[in-house]
Amino acid sequence: MGQDTFQITVNCIKLVLVFLMMVQAVPILVWLERRGSAFIQNRLGPNRVGPLGLMQLLADAVKFLTKEEFFPAGGVKFLYYAAPVAALVPATLAFAAIPMSAPVHIDPFEMFGKNWGPYTFFWQGFEINVGIVYILGVSSLGAYSILMAGWGSGNKYSLLGALRASAQIISYELALGLSIVGIILLYGTFNLGEMIAAQQGLLHFQFLGHTVESTWLPNWGIFYQPLAAVIFFAATFAESNRLPFDLAEGEAELVAGFHVEYGGFKMLLFFIGEYGHMMVAAGLMTTFFFGGWSIPGVSYESVYQWAQGAAATNSGASLLAGLIHFLVWTVKFAIFLWIFIQVRWTLPRFRYDQLMDLGWKTMLPWALGNTIITAIVLLIAHS
Amino acid sequence: MPNLDFLTEVGLTHYLILSAVIFCIGMAGVLLRRNAIVILMSIELMLNGVNITFVAFSSYLGKMEGQIMVFFVLTIAAAEAAVGLALAVAIFKRFKEVNIRFFENLKG
Amino acid sequence: MSTDAILFWILAFMTVSSALTVVLITNPIYCALSLALTMVGVSALFVTLNAYFLAGVQMIVYAGAVLVLFVMVLMLFDLKHELQAFTRGKMTGALKLASIGLLAGLIAGAILMSNGILLTKSEAFTSPDMASDTTKQLGHLIFSQYLFGFEALGVLLMVVAVGAVALSRSKGGTHAKS
Repeated sequence: MGQDTFQITVNCIKLVLVFLMMVQAVPILVWLERRGSAFIQNRLGPNRVGPLGLMQLLADAVKFLTKEEFFPAGGVKFLYYAAPVAALVPATLAFAAIPMSAPVHIDPFEMFGKNWGPYTFFWQGFEINVGIVYILGVSSLGAYSILMAGWGSGNKYSLLGALRASAQIISYELALGLSIVGIILLYGTFNLGEMIAAQQGLLHFQFLGHTVESTWLPNWGIFYQPLAAVIFFAATFAESNRLPFDLAEGEAELVAGFHVEYGGFKMLLFFIGEYGHMMVAAGLMTTFFFGGWSIPGVSYESVYQWAQGAAATNSGASLLAGLIHFLVWTVKFAIFLWIFIQVRWTLPRFRYDQLMDLGWKTMLPWALGNTIITAIVLLIAHS
Repeated sequence: MPNLDFLTEVGLTHYLILSAVIFCIGMAGVLLRRNAIVILMSIELMLNGVNITFVAFSSYLGKMEGQIMVFFVLTIAAAEAAVGLALAVAIFKRFKEVNIRFFENLKG
Repeated sequence: MSTDAILFWILAFMTVSSALTVVLITNPIYCALSLALTMVGVSALFVTLNAYFLAGVQMIVYAGAVLVLFVMVLMLFDLKHELQAFTRGKMTGALKLASIGLLAGLIAGAILMSNGILLTKSEAFTSPDMASDTTKQLGHLIFSQYLFGFEALGVLLMVVAVGAVALSRSKGGTHAKS
């Protein structure tokens, strides 16, 4: 966690803040989803409670908290109650490892009559060196909550939805993992922060002795790995069980899938889990393919120099620059979340065999091919 | 006052004993349980006990070979689980039962 | 008491208790779920041993894929009521338990007696930037010295995939053409 008290305290506060940020983003996203869907479907959406219906969130929360406690006959008590909690954990843990801004360097300072050494803080829950592997591993635990909910409810529809959902998650995990391999080969690291550092500046690379340079395109991953970006983004839709891959819910066939029997706050926890997966996916998209917190056309150094003029100390300048980059990251992140919502209300649902065909026969071979071609190209470029 | 150093000083021995305990629990499962799938799970448990030993040695001796062995064990365990589950499904389809007591007549 | 020791004891308790649950509980679904918990604990133990990459792989392969398969198969079987979870016969059971106890005692005794021979303190792996290095070293070793084993594993996985599909597509299943 850190070397001394100050660092440990800051790191703990950071963890709590990241968790709160994730949980607090959910009501905003729900509001956005409802208003956005209304906008897409040419209707009004919730607009009665408060300005623009913003207070609808509070009304929802009150409703969720005051609903009757309910336990289905024929359910398994332990699994039924454990499943919503298990839904929240993987998304939260994965979200904590996503870097949100440039690291902050704090110069040595004096406090409480003691000298506190120089620190480097990362804008994320915790800095981990094998970030990608960690995120993939943790978010693959999401299948359990679905299976537990499906089995614990003692309901045919729930069980069918849960089996569908978990089969889907396992299948798309392959395409997801393979699409990332190209990125890992390209940057040669598992560390998300280093990946973002490698995407700074303008597009430039060397190939067969020629140096290719662009005057305005940023050095983002999507220009090197467009196919991987498409596959990755599509697979994350399947991973977070959203339309067009929400076979698990399929309200026309399965009522509501694995959470038929859930209501009130337990339902809300599933919601937070789903939105959390969405946020992890959006954060990873920005990190892998869109330069993370970097501002296109403006380098970190120039922002830092500007901040030095605005703030008194070097530490303050570093903090200010980090804040600016955090805002940029938030904009990119929000764009991807909006795409998630837009796609959900635009595309129809797949049939189950189409879903499996897409995962195993289309996305997996393309991702494999992308990996092999990337490896060959990199071998040629490096030799 | 008994010596409580073993509580505060965690070393290689602790990891080895832990892995031995997990291995023996897995072995107990294989010997005592009758559900074919639970037996498969117990085998996974034994393999994991061994994995802890490999990683502990590789970490404390500073050699990577142990981790490579774990890599291989992981892959083979996954393959074994896939085949075992496929067999269990085939058996269940035929006999509607996964209790190994009913498959004793396979021998001879 | 250092944080390392506290972490180790918590993880050890979690791993061993969930492993015991796997063996002792009669409902196979609970067995599979607590085995998943064991795997998570083992991968956390790998983290305490600085094997970050292996910890991630353990989570992805075991907890994320293999055990989900187990749970799915068990849910499809619907084995709520088990006639006989454990083996019959008091004598054979006692014999088996005794042999397991003997083995456990032998292993533990061997480890404790060889205490002086094995290393006791971690010296090599204390620097914090070791994590990326171990991952890199692992990659280099697998793709150079142990390349043959790696390729053989690939062949094995291929064979297993084909075999598993062939086994599970027996006649009379849902895919039968009537």
